[in-house]
Amino acid sequence: MKITLYPGCASEGTAISYTQSALEVAKKLGLEVKEIEDWNCCGSTVTSSVIGQFAADVLAARNLALAEKMGEQDVVATCSSCYAVLGNVNKKFADDKFKANANDALSKDNLSYSGKLKVRMLLDVMYSDVGLETIKSKVVKPLTGLKVAGYVGCQTVRALREFDNCENPTFLDGIISALGAEPVQFSHKLKCCTGAMALSSPEITISTVYPIIKSAHEAGADVIVTPCPLCQMNLDAYQVKVNKNFNTQYKMPVLFFTQLMALAYGLDRKAAGLDYCIVSPNEALKNWM
Amino acid sequence: MSEVAAKDNSVRKYDPEFTKRVYQMENGKWVKMCMQCGICPTTCALKEKMDLSPRRIIQLIRAGAKDEVLKANTMWLCTSCYTCACRCPRGVPMMDVMHDLRHLAVENGIKHNSQAMAEVYAKDVFKRGRIWEGGLTLNYGLKIGLGNFVKMALDMQDVGKGMMLHRRLPLLPPKGVKNPGKLREVLNRAAEIAKEGGH
Ligand code: SF4
Ligand code: SF4
Repeated sequence: MKITLYPGCASEGTAISYTQSALEVAKKLGLEVKEIEDWNCCGSTVTSSVIGQFAADVLAARNLALAEKMGEQDVVATCSSCYAVLGNVNKKFADDKFKANANDALSKDNLSYSGKLKVRMLLDVMYSDVGLETIKSKVVKPLTGLKVAGYVGCQTVRALREFDNCENPTFLDGIISALGAEPVQFSHKLKCCTGAMALSSPEITISTVYPIIKSAHEAGADVIVTPCPLCQMNLDAYQVKVNKNFNTQYKMPVLFFTQLMALAYGLDRKAAGLDYCIVSPNEALKNWM
Repeated sequence: MSEVAAKDNSVRKYDPEFTKRVYQMENGKWVKMCMQCGICPTTCALKEKMDLSPRRIIQLIRAGAKDEVLKANTMWLCTSCYTCACRCPRGVPMMDVMHDLRHLAVENGIKHNSQAMAEVYAKDVFKRGRIWEGGLTLNYGLKIGLGNFVKMALDMQDVGKGMMLHRRLPLLPPKGVKNPGKLREVLNRAAEIAKEGGH
């Protein structure tokens, strides 16, 4: 299967381990991945408050126009925020007036977009297209005995509601099981981590992240996995603050689900990007590293 | 900065121009769609911390209560989590309405740290087409003022240290788009179109 990858800005910084492990895992699964050439920032959900909704939409649409030049395969995002933005803008192209206006602006860069592509989230492609059987068939080190909290977060299943169930999602847990691990059920599976607010209102992020880690811990999880860069960063990097503020001693590693796949596929810790984890995963994952 | 609670209701000024202005914004049509069922506040991730609930904000926009709306912290605390949007029987994308309101608040001289962050972010997009996460923190610091930045840096040093030690904050900007000038032309044209009411 061919996919066009939209890496997003986090792929070069905070979520470098996500893209790296995703590409390694894709190789094992025989996915043919090509990055959108000359892609730009999707604008995230915040740019519209500065430049207005329409300009922000056009900014995101430029990526779709570039993707269309590369063929008709699906555009796949790894980041939930990118997925939300690109997917919602893609839908707007069904409206003729919007499409004409957006293409008017895009023509300044000699670009245009028909609205025909599909925007997908990597988690969905893994589950729906690759399939659990294939995911399972590549496992060489089953993660038997590992308890995993599949933290889905908010935007992944809610922004477009085009895959999984937005109130009771099962895709992530399905993948965790296919790798031989045990998905645990915890109350905060879908709670927002406050996303980009972590920098402007850290105290809110710390008090929001605390019950998420707490509920995963109480459910007996050894690690948390997530499909979203912001979730990963907030839970991982802010855990030290949670421990200070709430007098706890959590040492809960937070990984991208592709890192867990890489591990089960027998890839080394470098390919799995484990050294980018702030809370050390060494103890929890020692049987598989 | 903006945590000014809009709780003093003793004199409430109604301004029908304000309602019109919000309706004209890109997501204004959704404000008309709301049926005030009250589902959004029951699902909102941060309603405990908000001055006004998302439902109340819509009600007050329609009532033309400009000051109350624009001074509330609500739109700054909306995380774009889509939880309410997912459950709203009218399909109102509340987070998009909130972003329009941020825009409007800034137009009226009201700002919040969240907007400072968004502005630094947008500036990077204009300049290079992509953001540089390492530089974002620094530029945000400059924007909120050195004193505030030093306070933030001291308070958050464990978080920053973790990020640096694990090479999660690139020290140099990654490459941007090939021709950021063209991208700016696209965005400027889009802004023009939006101004003419074409969106
Ligand atoms: S859930 Fe939707 S219709 Fe109900 S009050 Fe909120 S925005 Fe209005
Ligand atoms: S999108 Fe905003 S208003 Fe809606 S539930 Fe999330 S934080 Fe609350």
